[in-house]
Amino acid sequence: MFKLFILILISFKLSASTITVALASNITYAMPTLKKEFNKIYPNINIRTIISGSGKLTAQIKHNAPYDIFMSANMKYPNNLYKSKYAISKPKIYAKGKLALLSFKQYDFSNIKELLSSKKIKKIAIANPTLAPYGKASIEFLQNIKLYKNIKNKIIYAQSISQTLLYSLNASDIGIVALSSLKSDKLEDYKINKNFVEINPKHYTSISQGMVLLKRAKNNIDAKAFYDFILSNKAQEIFKNYGYDI
Amino acid sequence: MIHIDIKKPLLGVDGFMQLDINININKNEFIVISGNSGSGKTTLLRCLAGLEECSGTIKVDNILWQDNTNKLKVQKRDIGFVFQSDALFMNMNVLDNLLYVNNDMTLALRLLDMTNMSSFQKTMPANLSGGQKQRVSICRALMKRPNILLLDEPFSALDNNIKSKLYTELLQIHNEFNLTTIMVSHDLNEVYALASRHIILDNGIIKKDENLSELLNNIEVKEQIQLDAKILKIININNQKHAIVNINNKFINIKLNNNKCKVGDNLIILSELFI
Amino acid sequence: MFELITNLDFTPFLLSFKLASITTVILFILCLPLAWYLANTKSKLKPYIETITALPLVLPPSVLGFYILISLSSNSPFGSYLDEVFDIQLAFTFNGLVVASIFYSLPFMVQPLQNGFESLNKNMIESSYIAGKSIITTIFKVALPNIKPALLTALVITFAHTIGEFGVVLMVGGSIEGQTRVASIAIYELSEGMDYTNAHIYSAFMLIISFIVLLSVYMFNAKQKQKLVGFK
Repeated sequence: MFKLFILILISFKLSASTITVALASNITYAMPTLKKEFNKIYPNINIRTIISGSGKLTAQIKHNAPYDIFMSANMKYPNNLYKSKYAISKPKIYAKGKLALLSFKQYDFSNIKELLSSKKIKKIAIANPTLAPYGKASIEFLQNIKLYKNIKNKIIYAQSISQTLLYSLNASDIGIVALSSLKSDKLEDYKINKNFVEINPKHYTSISQGMVLLKRAKNNIDAKAFYDFILSNKAQEIFKNYGYDI
Repeated sequence: MIHIDIKKPLLGVDGFMQLDINININKNEFIVISGNSGSGKTTLLRCLAGLEECSGTIKVDNILWQDNTNKLKVQKRDIGFVFQSDALFMNMNVLDNLLYVNNDMTLALRLLDMTNMSSFQKTMPANLSGGQKQRVSICRALMKRPNILLLDEPFSALDNNIKSKLYTELLQIHNEFNLTTIMVSHDLNEVYALASRHIILDNGIIKKDENLSELLNNIEVKEQIQLDAKILKIININNQKHAIVNINNKFINIKLNNNKCKVGDNLIILSELFI
Repeated sequence: MFELITNLDFTPFLLSFKLASITTVILFILCLPLAWYLANTKSKLKPYIETITALPLVLPPSVLGFYILISLSSNSPFGSYLDEVFDIQLAFTFNGLVVASIFYSLPFMVQPLQNGFESLNKNMIESSYIAGKSIITTIFKVALPNIKPALLTALVITFAHTIGEFGVVLMVGGSIEGQTRVASIAIYELSEGMDYTNAHIYSAFMLIISFIVLLSVYMFNAKQKQKLVGFK
């Protein structure tokens, strides 16, 4: 009887637990919905999120930051972590990021090339391509539509995809942001084809975003639960609703 | 002729008081203004110089220095000012301090000569003694060839043996440059050494204003004087009690006939006068 | 090793030094009258003005940067006025960084100068006025020469502070090569991108140059003190 009591006590303790997930900033918008769905199935698992640029998070993980799961904005960083044994699972694609052009001013988006070359657009905000995967894709897009050389001098570089959003909404004339950010309710006043437009994915290599389980979560069944959830159909539906490809 | 009729509220030792001065000063007078701390002597001098605000009228030789609507800037007033201490330009040597006011090398060298400072031309103020600094200050004040010289307790921080030399130099300058000199001092020796007129301020108003040249002419001839002194110490020499007293900054040893004297007692000393 | 150094792109360093120099000169011209005023005024406004000039010390650089970004961008009333009337864009340009740096480093120029002026003997200044000299002549020939240590501190610290400026530039700069990608941003991006080798090289270079500049300035200061007392 006593043994059963202890077992029940332990199981309660185990189930009221917290896992720490390191997120690339573009997932911020989808995360609340993902958490809600996850907690419907696992009400006693608390998810703590650390949001930052993928590069920063990778550096932190290499210095033994206390994270259980890493959801990156690309494949390069998770691959790096897996090779150097900081990650214990092979990187899996959980979503594919997409780009959008956004401005707080209203423009005619029917001809993007013409719009971006026009005199109206003096500053274009892009995430720094050496630091942010979305920035790299943005440059690729501009090169593929043969516009990069012409508008190179209009580009201002933000330190992250979140700062690109800040610039697009406050300071520059237009910017290339993560499509997922447009699904946030904070931006519900911005109208498609007036303030923003999705960029045709054929113009850039899809931004495959990889996820890994980290060393610290080795025997953590809760972490594995969340990891599996993210790769499940339910979660993939949510990502689709938030402007990702799956 | 300087005409001063001014008022200014002041914070004195005992609270607020009003500086209220109405006097006329004639050319070539040497006026010493004395009075207790906080009686307004320095303020009066600074108001005359234009360094402080006051209400009323100041007129100098028919030029209006101030009235209730206008005030002549400090820079334009025909004055020289000697402060109590530390007013030399520390970044310039003695000669440059003078030439800064007026690029008149002849005048500068003459003034340095009159104050025995000729050998200090290239010396920096930081390397001068107190007395030397005040000498340079006086020279500098005269480089503009002003008609009026103002001095604010210029010698109070100096040793007594320096002072008498400086009095002589100052008087010589006063006479040679035909100045009207107004000096603030609380040292009565300076009044008698230098002044032709003595003004005493108390709580912002003139308590006494006497012409000393008359005064000095009216002092009676004495052959015997009476001095007051306090006993500082009583010592025993060969079974005889002596008292050590201080008269005019000198320690005097006097035989005591009275055994009832003790330290702190006041003595009256009678002496005959010889020069 | 030598190749590593010759392959360095020196643009960020030149940009940092250019920004710091221009900012220091402009701030000196602006703050000299302000510091003199604050040191000599008895006005009741003095505490308010001192608070405003000290604000950049206390505000987080990111807050400062954020507000400067909003007000300078061509979408703000002020920014669009400059854009339409003068064709001047300030956000994300070198000139915009100069404006931001002026706010950021203001207290570092005002406060040492103000303290220096306040420490001067009033009678010395008054002697200059009595000698018939104007306020401007007095400031340049009497006041400033007698506060050389404070003057030096003001110039050096303003310069150094602007070299180290990061949070504000991060917000306002846009990291444009040759325009706003100053040394501190360049080093940050290198470390962010895990290019630690170059981050080390850039940082060491900055450290050495800054050390040499500061050292020569303080040695000059010591020599000046000797001059005041007439030693050769």
